[in-house]
Formats: sequence, structure tokens, C-alpha cells
Amino acid sequence: MADVKKFPYASEVVLPPELEGWEEMYPPQRLFSKDREAWENKHFWYQDKIHAPEPMYPLDDIFQEAWQISLSQFTTRVFCIPPAQGVAQRMLGCYMYITAVEPPPPEVIAEKAEHFQKRVFYVFENYDALWDKWLEKFQALGREMESLKIPKEFDKYVPDSEIFPAPRGYTQAYEIIEAFNTIISQIFKAWQYHFEYLNLAYLGYLMFVDTARKLFPGIKESTIGKMVAGAEVSMFRPEEELCRLSRLAAGQPPVAEILKKSIPADKKIEELKSIDAGRVWLEELERIKNPWFFVSCGSGWYHFEGSWTNKMDVPFSYMQSYVERLEKGERIERSLTAISEERDRIVSEYKALIKTDDDRKSFEDAYKVVRTIYRYAEDHLFWVEHWLHTIWFEKIREFGGLLVKNNVLKKTDDIFLFNRFEVPMLLEDLATAWALGEGAPTRGKFWMEKAAKRKKILDAAREWMAAPGLGVPPEEVSEPFTVMLWGVTTDKVAEWLKGSETASKDVSEIKGFASSAGVAEGPARVLKLLEDVVKLEAGEIMVSPCTNPSWAPVFTKIKAAVTDIGGLTSHAAIVSREYGLPSVTGTGIATSVIKTGDIIKVDGSTGIVTIVKRA
Amino acid sequence: MAEKWIYWLKEVGQEDNNVVGKKCANLGELTKAGFHVPPGFALGVEAYSRFMKETEATDLLLKFLDTFHADPNNVADTLKYEEASNAMRALVESVKMPPDMEKTIKEYYAEMCRIAGCENIYVATRSAGPMSHPGQYETYLNVSGADDVAFNVVRVWSSTFNTRSVIARARLNLPLHYDPIGVAVLTMVDAKAAGVMFTVNPVNGDESKVAIEGSFGYGEAVVSGNVTPDRYLVDKITLEIDEKVISDKGSEFIYNPGTKEMEYIDLPPDQRKRQCLEDKEVLELTRLAKKIEAHFGCPQDVEWSISGSLPFPESIFLVQARPESVWGKKKKESVLGKKSGMELLFERATTPIKLKI
Repeated sequence: MADVKKFPYASEVVLPPELEGWEEMYPPQRLFSKDREAWENKHFWYQDKIHAPEPMYPLDDIFQEAWQISLSQFTTRVFCIPPAQGVAQRMLGCYMYITAVEPPPPEVIAEKAEHFQKRVFYVFENYDALWDKWLEKFQALGREMESLKIPKEFDKYVPDSEIFPAPRGYTQAYEIIEAFNTIISQIFKAWQYHFEYLNLAYLGYLMFVDTARKLFPGIKESTIGKMVAGAEVSMFRPEEELCRLSRLAAGQPPVAEILKKSIPADKKIEELKSIDAGRVWLEELERIKNPWFFVSCGSGWYHFEGSWTNKMDVPFSYMQSYVERLEKGERIERSLTAISEERDRIVSEYKALIKTDDDRKSFEDAYKVVRTIYRYAEDHLFWVEHWLHTIWFEKIREFGGLLVKNNVLKKTDDIFLFNRFEVPMLLEDLATAWALGEGAPTRGKFWMEKAAKRKKILDAAREWMAAPGLGVPPEEVSEPFTVMLWGVTTDKVAEWLKGSETASKDVSEIKGFASSAGVAEGPARVLKLLEDVVKLEAGEIMVSPCTNPSWAPVFTKIKAAVTDIGGLTSHAAIVSREYGLPSVTGTGIATSVIKTGDIIKVDGSTGIVTIVKRA
Repeated sequence: MAEKWIYWLKEVGQEDNNVVGKKCANLGELTKAGFHVPPGFALGVEAYSRFMKETEATDLLLKFLDTFHADPNNVADTLKYEEASNAMRALVESVKMPPDMEKTIKEYYAEMCRIAGCENIYVATRSAGPMSHPGQYETYLNVSGADDVAFNVVRVWSSTFNTRSVIARARLNLPLHYDPIGVAVLTMVDAKAAGVMFTVNPVNGDESKVAIEGSFGYGEAVVSGNVTPDRYLVDKITLEIDEKVISDKGSEFIYNPGTKEMEYIDLPPDQRKRQCLEDKEVLELTRLAKKIEAHFGCPQDVEWSISGSLPFPESIFLVQARPESVWGKKKKESVLGKKSGMELLFERATTPIKLKI
């Protein structure tokens, strides 16, 4: 066996032949390169399964590009976390690898320490007011993006209104070029804001973990998660709105009857419009739809996941089951008071165990620090990844629609097969053909062929098991996201090293975080997308890449949950504990190893998932 | 008036350490506090004194010791001590107990039988020194019938003359002929499983955990280290079982009605690696551990036993509680060094996390 302490270098990775041509989908600065090889080989790269679990669509890659800059700058140039540097990205075979850049020279660490104390302490002292400012500017940005005007169709002739009393001087040809430039700027700006307080929120959390562990060496991460979690954060609002709408419907039997029918959501909406009570209910739905139905059916990172607002079957199926449960007299809401009471009980009981007054005081202060800012981790998530991404995807589809209408692309979503530097070429091609007059051709055939080829490459990449890591694992880590978000720990790297030696079909046992105690055995249902929940049958064990609050109602149907991504404080872990279901999260490979119908055993106390019988 | 020398458990408490010995005092304290302890009574150190003085035991022992010479620090003399011990124990066990004492002990036993609603109930006669000498004196299990109870009380007393106790006293220059202890006479629990728990993680001193070790049968198997027990680590606050190690327990220590002896019996292969406790029992033990610790105000080392015939949770009995000896005595020192939240944040930000690859 080769040296087990090392993964292959990027240049040593052999890609399947079907992936040929993958590089041209991504800009050259995002690829491993000969000219930077010495620097690249000094770093340990691991596959980012949190943000890029699937092969990367070129236009979806924009969020990744944007966070590489933003996350890194807040650590290196803004809040100046002394020994930490940024997180760099590289694409390889359509998957994204990332690394924590090696620490800066000692004099830079010293300079940063000064800035850190001044700036970070200020943020913690003023966080509540700063959050209000953040939300205000972020919502303004989202509204700007919403109001962006993208022509539905090219006019045969510019309308009179643009000529008289004085010609406007520019046309839709310019408008469409400007609109795309603008939306690119807006998404980059949104992602600048995204990290404004996130690095500090994670750092605060890690500090609290350290503090708690010094006092209670055996305290579990899941317990710490319960201590710091905020119950009333934006990310839980969509679910709360669903419960409220369901209660409203349950109070109006004709509305409830329509919601309970087994017909698609658009038919239900039509029927609701035909009765008075239904119209009132729909008005209420419309009133809260933006922002609270602008929630992704997945992580918010891929265009194909969709959102409630454009996949209304998803929220309507939840409301259907909620109405049915309400009629049976069941409770549907999470009890926010129960959650915060439990949190306060845990904190005060641990505090009571602390032996000295000095330590109790430090602990209280550390807890205050983490509680001040930690809610940002769940608040920003709704506003950026869900609300704003929903707006973004809808707007991008408007460009896609225009390209399809003019025979530049076959399908609206094919626009996501071109990266953000290429889309302007397609738009310019279209604008030029329009300007040239009747009969001037675009390169539609060329673009369509390219799109078809890229689809094939992405399909092939989906079948390929990419290496979890590249290069030599480091001896220490100081970058907060590497530890907190990607969970790069001694155990994790060891697990990757082990996993890279076995093929997926030979795997009969996988390991993840023991995130909700209990044991369950049953048939697996692999749900790659939320819209697949319609196939889910009661008593199955859900196996999914990850979950978010838009999946909450699923948990009333299943026996246990297994995810690829997410630690002990992930959504799946929290909800599983609330419903008393066994769960194992952060397995890394569950959805690729387990197939629907396999009989699996989930042990939420040990974190082990066993494949008992293959389907 | 003669001094009182026999007590129901509920009549004694922690403050009676010197009167009835530590074990009896603690069991009395637990009983009074409402914990589920096997019913029973305690013989005070006064009972030992009366027995030794009112019979001729003391005189006979002193006479015997007149001619006994050995050096406790000389290993070669161990054999001499062993012979002396045998002689002294035989001597103590052969004298007749004062009739009023025997009568009273038998009356207490009869009352135990009456309350339990069963004749000749099985009891354990356990030693209870005023100082903690774990494992130094002896305990007799599954004793039944009034005569046997009285006789085994004497056997416990005579265990103060076992070799290791005599050598220990000789080393400390204490009188060899006299070492008053208490005796607990406790209803036997027909243990399906038993063991020990600490209200602190003994490995790292984490006071938010309860560490439980248990095995099938009677607790002596765990206490003596003769089997590898199952181990559970439970969080006191979340009541989650953090760790569960199920061991190959090999054998169980149980009563053999044929030989009337306690014996180690090999477990059938399919039993050896089975969990000896149900999760609900683990959690109930944890709740009890928290209550006991709160009652005594410091980390405790608790022995427990689970009856195979009673329904849960009445099946769970506490048979011993004493202060945990390692972490309980550690000086309470600050581990966070008086740092503020911001100082801790800065410390975190400037300290890289080591990976061990």
C-alpha cells in the first residue's frame, strides 16, 4: 500500500475519459495549474461536499467564486483573525476542492492581532444594532435585484414611447447587456454581505466549545449546539408560516377540504379562487409569500433544486398533511418556548456544576459572547441562500427564456451550463443578430451543441467517485470554517483516507456523526431532491445529501434520517432529536453508497449505518 | 442504662459513623432520605464491644497474643500471622454470644421476615468499619434462618482478625485483639445485574457525567474485578447515554442453592456479550446518582443492584454510597484563568487547532 498519510496530488488524479473537455466550463483561474503547482502542492485540498456535493454547473459556480473572495477577505483583511488566512478553491473533474491557505508570516500575525482586538470587540459589543443595519441593506439589495428589468422579448421596432418627446438613445440590446452585468454585481455584493459576521459567529462558537470542553471534557457537540441555538431565527420562519396557514385553513372547512384533495397545487389554487373563504386564504398566502416562501427545496446552491414559490406542490403537500394532523387534534408547531426552556435548563445545570466562582464568571461571559452573535449563522442563511438565491434563479431564467425564444438555447435552464463570463457572449450574440436586422443568424447551433456536450460531461462526473482529498494533510488548522463548517478534524481526515481505498459497492458500513440517539432498521429511500418526497412512504429511512427547514414536515413520516452533510447542529440532527428519531449525519457518502430499497440499520448512538441487505 | 447497640437502618444517619460504622451510617442516611435501599438493621460498634467483653473472647485473645511474636514488616512472617489469624478467628467464632444479644438479633431478623411477608428471608451480613477500609473485612451473602444470621454476624466480627487486618494493625502499632466495627444485616436483592457507579467521570474528573459499570449477577463480580463489566457514560444534564461499551463478561457471581455457596458460573456464549442493563435502567440509575450526589453534596461512589423479580423501577436498589476518593478530594482550581469572554475569543482566534494525522 502507498503512504497512507497522503492523498494523490491534483496532477496525479486520473479522470474518466467521458469527462474530456470539462475544463472549459470553468474560468482558468479556478483550475489547478502547472504555474502554481508548487504552492498548490504545499496545501491540503479536500472536496467541498457542503457547497458543491454535485458536479458544478458553470453558472451555479458563481456563488463559489463569490465566497472564495468574501469569506477569505473577512479573515485576512477585514476582521483579521491573526494566524488564519483565506480558503482557496480549485475545480477538478467538475468537483470543487478547497484548502485553508497556510498561515502568514509572524509579523503579519502580530499586525492582525491589533486590528482584531479593536474591530472584533467592537462588533460583539454592538451586534444587535449592526444586525438591524445588515438586514436593512440586504433587503434593499434583494429588492433591487427583483426590480431589475429584463426584456421578455425583443421588439420588432423600438416603441414610440422611447422616441418621443426625446429618443432614449439606447435599446433592449444594451438593456440586456447591462441587466446581466448588474445582476452579476448584485450577486457578488450579496455574497460580500453574506460573510460580514459569519466568520465571527463561527469563531465565537469555537471559542465556546473550547471553554465548555475545558470545564467538561466530555461535553458533546450536540449539547453545545442545544446551548447556543436560537429558536426564533429567520431560517425557521417559513415552516412557522406553513403552520399558521394550515391553522387558518383548518378553521375554514371548505378551504381545508380543497387543501386535502389529491390534485396538483395549481388546481387547488384555482378551486380556492372560486370560493370567498378560499380567496381570503390565498390573499394571506400572497401576503407572506415574499419573503417566506422564497425558500429553496434544497440547499439553495443549485438552480435545479427549485424553491417553494416555484414548486408550490411542495408547500401544499406539507400543508395538506398539517391540515390532516390538525383535524386529528395533533400539534404541528415546534414549541419555541419548550425549546428555549430546555436550552436555559441545560445551560444553568451545567453552570451549577462549575466548581469555582471565577470559572463560572468566565463561562457566563463566554456564553454571552456566543449567544450575541451565533444567531447570525441561521439568520443570514435564510436571507442569502434562500431568499436572494430564489430571486437570482428566477431572474436568470428570464435571460434563459429570452435565449430560448430566439433559438440560441434549447431549454431555459441550459443557461446554467455556461459560466458567468460566457453568458454575456450568448447575450451579445443575440443582441447583435437583432440589431443586424432580418435574417441575420446567431451561433445558436454552436451554443446548443456545447450545452448538450456539457450535460453529458456533468452526467459522467456524477457517476465518478472523486477523491475526498488531495495532497498532504496539515498538522494544524486555524481557519474557523475549516473546523466548524467542513469539520476537518483528525478523525475526519482519517476516515477519508480509509474511504479512498474502497469502492462504494463494497461498503457495508458507513460512519457519521451520532446526532440523535436510538436504533432503527428499515428500507432506505434516497432523496437527492426535495421534490422526490412525494415518493417517500411512511416507515422508510430517509437518506439525503442534507436537509433544511423546508424539509421539516418529512420528519413526521420517516423512521430515521441519514445525511451526507451536516454535523450535530445541522438541521437534520436538530429535527431528528425533536421528533425522537435516530439520525446519523455527515457521513459524506450515504447517498452514493446506499440505494433506495436497501435495508439499512441506523444507530444514532454510535453514528454507524449498516447496510443489512442490498435491494 | 446499657448503651443502644442495635438499630433499624432508618434510625441512623451520616452523623452515626462512629456508632454503626460508615456503611451502616450511609445506608441509614440513604434510607432516611427516601432512597430505595434493601431493608435491614445495623449492629453498632457497641455490639462488637459487648460481645468481646461479655464473652471471654477478649481475655482468650490477649492470652493467646502473649506468646505471639512476629514482625509485620517482614514478609517472611506473613505465615505466622496467618496461623495466628486462624487461631484467633476460631476462638472468636467458638464463644457463645450473650443470650440477650442473640435474642435481640433474632427478633430483629424475625421482624424483617414479618415485613417482607416471607419466612427465613435471605440476608447479607456486611462489615461496616468506622473508617473506610474497602475490602479489608468480610461480608457473607445469602444467609438465611435466625441461627445462621446470628452466627454470620459473629463471622463478620471475627473477620477483624483476618490476616490482612491483623498485619495492618500491627504495622500501625494498634492493639491486635480489638477493632470494633459495625455490621449491616440487609435483605438480599436477587440481583439479575449489579455494579458500581461514580457521579463523576473517573477518567477525567468531568462532573457532568455519571460512569456506570455493571455485570450480570451480584455486584461482587464487578467490585472485585473478577469480570470485565459493561460500561456506560451518561450525561447528567441531557440524560443521553454518551458511551456504551458492552464487554464479554465471561461469568456471573450467583447463589448456588445446591452448595449454598456464592459461585462464579460461566455465562452461556449468547449471554456473555449481551448488554446487562436496559437503557431505561441506565437512565434511572443516572437519575438516582444525581439525587445521591445532591444529597451528600460531593461526588459519590455508589453500589447498586437490580432485582430480577421486582418490576422496574422498584427493582433498583442502592447498596452502598460513599464519597468518591480521587476527584472529590482535588482542590477546586480555576481552569479558565479568570478570562473574560473576549479574552477567550482572542485566545481561540490566535491558537491553531492541532490535527493528529
